[in-house]
Amino acid sequence: KLNVGVDTIQHGVEGLVYLLTESSKLMISEVDFQDSIHVLGFSDELNKSLLQLYLDNRKEIRSILGELAPRLPSYHSLEWRLDVQLASRSLRQQIKPTVTMKLHLNQSEDQSAQVLQTDPATLLHLIQQLEQALGEMKMNHCRRIVRNMK
Amino acid sequence: ILDDPDLKDIDPTVLKHCHAAAATCILEAGKQKADISAISTCLEDCKLDKERIEQFCTEYQGRELVTVVSCSIGRSPLHITDVSWRLEYQIKNNQLHKTYQPSYLVTLNVESSDSGSHPDVSFSCTMEQLQDLVGKLKDAAKSLERATQM
Repeated sequence: KLNVGVDTIQHGVEGLVYLLTESSKLMISEVDFQDSIHVLGFSDELNKSLLQLYLDNRKEIRSILGELAPRLPSYHSLEWRLDVQLASRSLRQQIKPTVTMKLHLNQSEDQSAQVLQTDPATLLHLIQQLEQALGEMKMNHCRRIVRNMK
Repeated sequence: ILDDPDLKDIDPTVLKHCHAAAATCILEAGKQKADISAISTCLEDCKLDKERIEQFCTEYQGRELVTVVSCSIGRSPLHITDVSWRLEYQIKNNQLHKTYQPSYLVTLNVESSDSGSHPDVSFSCTMEQLQDLVGKLKDAAKSLERATQM
């Protein structure tokens, strides 16, 4: 329909892709984008369309690029259950409380579930440690860094 | 036992049988949480004299360690023993710059009932996800507390 060779189209598409991904990756400002494409010598109208294309799609491109970064399995959810062990092959008449948990993790499209168990004392210790971890974000040190690195 | 000078005149095979019999007796009685009178009755039926029964019962009284060991024998899912965490602030990666995202890396130290060690469970999470996790753990702890009050 465009009356142009396949190669030209391919190069055109690749060029556009490169332009948009690099601009989105670096999160460059409108002004910087305009300055960059000005060098290519296109018409003003074309430059405006390109800028609009960049601004419209930037967020989505960034979220897709974000998926490509190296990642550890990430938390999805946790199920828990309270059990009391009453007897075992080696000892009868026990009362041993345990907390059984199923930890659901995501790793790039795959979901995994791990069954874990802990005793009441360790559970309280876990809660205390993780609450301390949450508290760190509210400390001045972290707040200062987040404020200054934008 | 085989090196004990007092026992050197006895046939080692007989000694081994005696030791095995005594150990089995203590383990079985401990498993069933039998009390002194039950054991005495049982030993009387086996035609043991009073002095021997008394001695056996005295030794049996000091069996706390055996109970503790019996309690810990048995299969269970991976047991959480401790937790470590790390708070980081991501600035950029090779796919995406200016990410500015805080994230937590949590490692649960686990112990396996089968073999000696097992790789720890690690995962990353955002602050919201960690809050979700801590919330659920606190629910479990509250429910434990309620159960103990019943």
